[in-house]
Amino acid sequence: MKATALPVDAEISARPAKRPSRPGTSTSLDRVSFSFDTTEGARLAIDGASLHIEAGEFVCLVGPSGSGKSTILNLIAGLLSPTQGRVLENGAPIDGPGPARAMVFQDAALFPWLTLRENVEYPLQLAGMSKGERRERSAELLRMVHLYRFADSHPHELSGGMRQRGAIARALATDPAVLLMDEPFAALDAQTREILQGEVERIYLEMRKTVVFVTHNVREAVRLADRIVLMGTRPGRILRDVTIDLPRPRAANDERVAWFAADVAGEIRSEVEKIAREEADDAWVAPGDRVRVDPRRNLGGGI
Amino acid sequence: MALKDGTLGRAVVTSVLRLLLGYGVSLFFGVLLGVALARSAKTKAAVGPLILGMSSVPSICWLPLAILWFGLSEWAIQTVIVLGALLPIAVATEGAVKHVPPQLVRAARTMGARGPRLLFGVVIPAAFPGILSGAKLGWTFALRSLMAGELLFVSGGLGQLLETGRDIGDTALVVAIIVTIIALGRASEWLLFGRLDREVGRRWGTEAA
Repeated sequence: MKATALPVDAEISARPAKRPSRPGTSTSLDRVSFSFDTTEGARLAIDGASLHIEAGEFVCLVGPSGSGKSTILNLIAGLLSPTQGRVLENGAPIDGPGPARAMVFQDAALFPWLTLRENVEYPLQLAGMSKGERRERSAELLRMVHLYRFADSHPHELSGGMRQRGAIARALATDPAVLLMDEPFAALDAQTREILQGEVERIYLEMRKTVVFVTHNVREAVRLADRIVLMGTRPGRILRDVTIDLPRPRAANDERVAWFAADVAGEIRSEVEKIAREEADDAWVAPGDRVRVDPRRNLGGGI
Repeated sequence: MALKDGTLGRAVVTSVLRLLLGYGVSLFFGVLLGVALARSAKTKAAVGPLILGMSSVPSICWLPLAILWFGLSEWAIQTVIVLGALLPIAVATEGAVKHVPPQLVRAARTMGARGPRLLFGVVIPAAFPGILSGAKLGWTFALRSLMAGELLFVSGGLGQLLETGRDIGDTALVVAIIVTIIALGRASEWLLFGRLDREVGRRWGTEAA
């Protein structure tokens, strides 16, 4: 059965770029470990991970909760410093967070006291851009995410999907070299999610930035990524790489996407089960497994 | 009746000027102190318990000490007002700054905000609704401290006029002053706090649906 391919949007490559955008740079983790302090002592979140992402590559980090994917993203952003190892950008170690490594968060994190336009202009203001230029640039960005009409609204007046689009516009404001996205669509409904996945793909094809996208949704990862990095948990570490060499743009309901997704999901299944079992006191039974006796039912047996 | 025209007006002016001065000082230093308490563990350790202890003292209890130190002067009244209003403002500001969602600060840092720009451009605006609550509370405390001070130690202003009214048995005067105080409260609400409340509601979207 042939997959129904959506017509390739030829306009994307034909349309001239409105403004030359800085191409992505490479970013890498060099034998990075990270632990943080909890009430039970130091907890190792990442254990000796090495990862290299090429300039202009779209990489998804996929794994169950607790696999350290957000921690890796925060390390790449410079928000966290590794306890061991180095984080490099274009070969050089980074020195903290900055506009070259822009980040989109799960809850948009727009400033509630500013309008959408002022939010998008904020990083430009930090960079010292003049008022007129800021206006122009924010208008361009808002048009790119189709939110120009709502420029003077405050974030509370926007829906979740709109806020995320605003956050993406804000992240792109300073023309970053690396775009980091931390489960940006996790809090949205399925339809909005699909639409925004398409938007991100469109923006990526137009600007070719390096994108590191964290998600626990395997299908989303397969739809968007050139390469998927699978993460294991407890301790967080990189399991393996999967290259996705499907042509772009990809359709959400493409059969090949589904096939890849099932394959990848099988790989991380054991990790997911590990978490589920830990969180359910060993009484959790994986669906489809043989029925196991509930250990609590056997108290007193064999005395 | 003739007493009220002129006397009442002068008393209002005296009281309001004292209030504005004392409240202004309290607000400025209170917010500063609150931010310092929230951001610096050292400050909190050094000054925190002292602040907590002092805020349990009703501000009027400072009046005897203030009079002993500064005599029957404006300084005494201002001391009482500031001690009454500064501490609640500081405590509320500290809470507001502590409760700024860390995600907002992270976002600002990834955009390149650091140091003072981060503090004044992001943290304090984010904490503004809480700071405003503290400011309103501080205003109430300042007014109470002022009235108590003026009632107890004669020095002009509405409090003294109240005492005079009681002394000469002029109920109408006393009631008139109370009405004036109510009017002052409404005026401050209308001119200042009400406006700020509405602005916060407009931006943060916290108006009742």
